[in-house]
Amino acid sequence: MTKDELSTEIKYPPCKLACPILTDVREYIQLIAERRFEEALASIRNLNPLPRVCGRICTHPCEAACKRGQVDEPIAIPALKRFAADGPWKGRYKAIMPDKSTGQKVAVVGSGPAGLAAAHDLALLGHHVTIFEALPVLGGMLRVGVPAYRLPKNVVDEEIQAILDLGVEVKTGVRIGEEIKLTDLSEQGYKAVFVAIGAHKDRKLGIAGEDGFEGVVSAVSFLKAVNQGENPKVGKKVAVIGGGNTAVDSARCLLRMGAETVHMVYRRSRDEMPAAKEEIEEAIHEGVQVSYLTSPVEIFGEDGNVSALRCIKNELGEPDVSGRRIPKSVPGSEFTIDVDMVIAAIGQAPDSSFLDNELTERDKRIYVEDPYALMTTHPGVFAGGDAVTGPATVVEAISAGKRAGISIDLYLRGEPLPTTEQMEAVETAKLSPALIEKTRKFARCSKISLPAEARLKGFDEVDAVLSEDLATKEALRCLHCFLGARIDKEKCISCLTCVRVCPLGIPTTTKMGEIAIDPFACQACGMCVLECPVRAIDISLDPHSKIAREIEWAISRSQQVEPVIVGFFDLHGNFRSSDVESLRQDYPNILPVMVFGLRRVDTSDILKAFEFGADGVLLAGCPSDTDPFPETADRVKRRMAHARTMLEALGIDGARLEVCDMPDEGLVEKELIDGLIQRIKGPGQAR
Amino acid sequence: MIVLEQKKFQEIEKMTTGYNRLLVLGCETCAAMSFAGGQRQVAELASAIRVARKTTGEQGEVLEEAIARQCEPEFVDLIKDEVSGCDAVLSLACGAGVQMLAERFQDKVVLPGCNTTFLGVTEELGVWSERCAGCGNCILDKTAGLCPIARCSKQLLNGPCGGSMNGKCEISKDVDCVWQLIIDRLTRLNRLEMLEEIFPVKDWSPAGHGGPRKMVREDLKS
Amino acid sequence: MKSGSNLERILESGQFAVTAEAGPPKGSSPKVVQRKGELLKLCCDALNVTDNQTAIVRMSSLSGCVLLKEMGVEPVLQMVVRDRNRLALQGDILGAAALGIRNVLCLSGDHQKFGNHPTAKGVYDIDSIQFIQMVKTMRDEHKFLNGEEISGDVPFFIGAAANPFADPFEFRVIRLAKKVSAGADFIQTQGIFDMPKFIEWMKMVRDRGLDEKTHILAGLIPIKSVGMARYMRNNVSGLSVPKEIVDRMADAKEPKEEGVKICLETIEQLKEVDGIHGIHIMAVAWEDIVSRIIEEAGLMPRPVV
Ligand SMILES: Cc1cc2nc3c(=O)[nH]c(=O)nc-3n(C[C@H](O)[C@H](O)[C@H](O)COP(=O)(O)OP(=O)(O)OC[C@H]3O[C@@H](n4cnc5c(N)ncnc54)[C@H](O)[C@@H]3O)c2cc1C
Ligand code: SF4
Ligand code: SF4
Ligand code: SF4
Ligand code: SF4
Repeated sequence: MTKDELSTEIKYPPCKLACPILTDVREYIQLIAERRFEEALASIRNLNPLPRVCGRICTHPCEAACKRGQVDEPIAIPALKRFAADGPWKGRYKAIMPDKSTGQKVAVVGSGPAGLAAAHDLALLGHHVTIFEALPVLGGMLRVGVPAYRLPKNVVDEEIQAILDLGVEVKTGVRIGEEIKLTDLSEQGYKAVFVAIGAHKDRKLGIAGEDGFEGVVSAVSFLKAVNQGENPKVGKKVAVIGGGNTAVDSARCLLRMGAETVHMVYRRSRDEMPAAKEEIEEAIHEGVQVSYLTSPVEIFGEDGNVSALRCIKNELGEPDVSGRRIPKSVPGSEFTIDVDMVIAAIGQAPDSSFLDNELTERDKRIYVEDPYALMTTHPGVFAGGDAVTGPATVVEAISAGKRAGISIDLYLRGEPLPTTEQMEAVETAKLSPALIEKTRKFARCSKISLPAEARLKGFDEVDAVLSEDLATKEALRCLHCFLGARIDKEKCISCLTCVRVCPLGIPTTTKMGEIAIDPFACQACGMCVLECPVRAIDISLDPHSKIAREIEWAISRSQQVEPVIVGFFDLHGNFRSSDVESLRQDYPNILPVMVFGLRRVDTSDILKAFEFGADGVLLAGCPSDTDPFPETADRVKRRMAHARTMLEALGIDGARLEVCDMPDEGLVEKELIDGLIQRIKGPGQAR
Repeated sequence: MIVLEQKKFQEIEKMTTGYNRLLVLGCETCAAMSFAGGQRQVAELASAIRVARKTTGEQGEVLEEAIARQCEPEFVDLIKDEVSGCDAVLSLACGAGVQMLAERFQDKVVLPGCNTTFLGVTEELGVWSERCAGCGNCILDKTAGLCPIARCSKQLLNGPCGGSMNGKCEISKDVDCVWQLIIDRLTRLNRLEMLEEIFPVKDWSPAGHGGPRKMVREDLKS
Repeated sequence: MKSGSNLERILESGQFAVTAEAGPPKGSSPKVVQRKGELLKLCCDALNVTDNQTAIVRMSSLSGCVLLKEMGVEPVLQMVVRDRNRLALQGDILGAAALGIRNVLCLSGDHQKFGNHPTAKGVYDIDSIQFIQMVKTMRDEHKFLNGEEISGDVPFFIGAAANPFADPFEFRVIRLAKKVSAGADFIQTQGIFDMPKFIEWMKMVRDRGLDEKTHILAGLIPIKSVGMARYMRNNVSGLSVPKEIVDRMADAKEPKEEGVKICLETIEQLKEVDGIHGIHIMAVAWEDIVSRIIEEAGLMPRPVV
């Protein structure tokens, strides 16, 4: 996204802004809350060809940015993504295929997430894509780096298959730069190339003894072997050097493969460790030992095999350019650990030996002219992913792939490439302590994971997918950033009603009656929207116009089973999508309108339902322990009482309006519905 | 502000019966702030009339419209076309608004949907109370800023009467005796001696007892 | 002499005055007023004729006064500002003067909400204090409220009411002072049950020297039943009926006798209070008891001055 876009009125929620591919987190979370799971998946899948992968191993910068995190704990965004992507509805997603092919051939070198994303997007743009992959398997690090206990291989395979189904061709076992050179590709008719070869070459430790003994292994080659089922030899006592995901994964794999002790050696402190926090915790939980502020000094060997690792303690000095404090060794603090294997996991670089002077390298990475458009110094050749950035993340690789897709498409059409600046890091506004205090806290869903002993028996996936109940509950924790109230200044008459009814005290006024609603602070409860006497407030979450439309729509499509009842159901209730379905089956005469709180239903909506032909109206509010704004409940009840008085004044039995609380589980008690139907059908009705 | 309340629905229904095309016209200032005649109440009332008409079988369309203030000719003239297509206008404004409509739309039936209740304040959302009687000659300087004309049940200028008990007016335990409030406030301000003097008889002519009131500002008028 | 009325003469001569209330009927028959006149004639110095009391429509007080006067009883014309504006009030004052009425009691009146025409428009053009002042100006300066001359005399002995039991207590004496300075020649108080409070009030009255400037007649309401005591305790604004009184009435074998006893005890206590120049008995619908009370209080026979 550009700075221009940022400065416009449309504000993206922090979660979306933090995502390198601008996933509409808020949207799919809302869809999950609405129990519209298939649409939630579509929302994700439209942007991301690897939702099941990302639902498991994405580093989720969105979560770190989530506004809820300022209140209690952030929304468990990846867990929700995985829920949406893993559900039984996953096979039903259909990408929209282009009408006709452009006839242009594009080569993608490397089948990691960057390559796959580019291939996916380019195929959908009608280009003919061929992926060249050096290894016999597809998926890059997803397939050969990330271990199966975090990312089962079938998940990777299935997602890749869906991409190939778009008509993408693959050539595995072809290492570009060997038989086929980069330059040959254009001769073969490829009009553009995307180089996404990742960073697979482990950096050397640069210490004495590194090359002298059996048992000093590079992490990437170790993981590659493990992931390709080669069952590499594993020591009993292993030291893993490094603090990134590769190091942690190597350590956790080692435990699963029979190592007795695994010792991670990391030169900085825990706070600086680049691996994901959860991963480090899981590793420690499984039994990995970590020595922080420790650097290796020398590897010793016996009989040609590794026998010990000499280390030295560090202390943190001045911060370097990246802001991280430089570790300095403490003289005299050396110590030795007995090991029979050392894994080096201190960073990787792309293996660009094939580049043949065709592409420029900088800092051991492929150089691109513009980090957004991704064209290399060689026209028509684009590059992205770890190969350009150095070891990074899946989602950044996908982002690169998608941007490459856009650039290549433009390039092929002879149009100028986008010259967008990279966005600066987004700073999330801070919520006031008062608002945090007023916001209702809801516990974050807990993970369901295998117990540690069970894990170490093999490579079974550690974390399970959320249940529907947990997922909807979690989704309902979302604070709907920027979907809230907006005042139309032209209409506002400064009556102060919004100021008075907001449960969070968001609207403020100036001396001259100019009312302002902080769009970031507002949680879209909808209270002010309805109470505003001049309808000067609009809202994006369940706007009032939408609810009116839904009533009309619900009645118009009813099969005229008498009596027609419009049912408003609060999405915050503890019910499942199947409850809604069985209600539809058992009571085809009840037309459900799902709302984020009964706050959104006004007297006029209830009257509208009767106006359009309803015989009764049912309003089911969520149990109070799930209501994010319980303080509004009383006002809502009184509003309904007013509606009932109004109905009575019209000569309609007020008992045709049933207002109830949902049960602790489920949508609504059957007896209540039956009672309402009875009353409607029963004798003694006025008019 | 002027505080209004919507008339009882039965009264409105009776009043509007027989006018096929009915325009429910909101007023977006005081009427809206009183929750009697803003767009929200217009929608509610129009819907209610339509439902009622459905059940009684009365024909005709009920239209909804609102303007900023019905007491201003310029605003009123902006809805000329809508009004001309209707059989009657149900005004959800104060009496002034209703009459402005009647004045601008000479051949149109104009009906009041609200009762104009008083000039008052919002104590809190949904609670309004009278503060000013529009007597045309403000005396608040002599009564500690509390108006005995609007707020004493007997408009006493030398109160309180013998019915004041526990701070409440003799007419109801829910009504404050304003004279008690005046005395309390003057006591706080250390000015109670102000009340020792007899308040003279009031000139009620600017209060409307001198005939319909009108105000002309030569410097402003055209 | 301001008016030359009997009441004025008795009070000015320093004697203890006795007045009572004679409410006119909700009908046109003169008999009711006449019967009350007969009953009270000998034991009172003057009789108050109420003016649409508690906002219930009755025969006008001026007519009642005339009926009493015809039978030789001295009336006190009660007038409330609730029902008449300054024009009607002045007109009636002139008419009353012409008919030989000499005492007037200037009141605000109970709010119309309590009466039998609660939807009526209250007038309240002027208030009771302004009314007192207006009558005084008419009498002493022969001038209407607008300053125009009045031909002829307007000889009135001007009375006002005082309620020591209403709130705010401290202000009650200030208000009395205002009435006195407006021209109140005599004061009839609200019915007294709460003696300590009354005594306290009288002390404040004396401290301001008001008892020297006006004649204070202490109000008495004989209680007929415990129901009445309770009703007055709970429902009549401006009355203070202590719980002991209600209890005494409730415990009494013969409530009426107990009521008389309470009344007599009160009179005895009042005689001890400095600055009290008489009593005013409001025996609503129990006029027959008045003469007995006055008799037993030792206030008979009434003096002739
Ligand atoms: C152990 C490990 C754990 C990780 N955990 C996470 C995690 O939890 N979350 C996260 O977001 N990221 C994680 N990452 C990082 C993430 O996997 C990478 O950032 C991402 O895969 C980079 O994608 P890419 O497409 O650029 O490269 P890669 O995935 O590396 O794919 C490059 C592909 O190109 C192929 N190739 C290389 N050279 C040639 C050639 N000359 N010709 C043809 N093909 C060639 C390679 O064989 C490979 O298949 C992890 C990485 C590792 C190693
Ligand atoms: S609260 Fe919801 S919308 Fe806001 S940042 Fe978190 S997930 Fe996104
Ligand atoms: S409720 Fe509506 S009209 Fe009133 S101040 Fe708020 S926005 Fe303005
Ligand atoms: S939508 Fe709710 S939270 Fe937002 S300003 Fe309105 S009342 Fe407050
Ligand atoms: S009690 Fe107070 S407010 Fe009521 S009429 Fe008497 S003086 Fe006025």
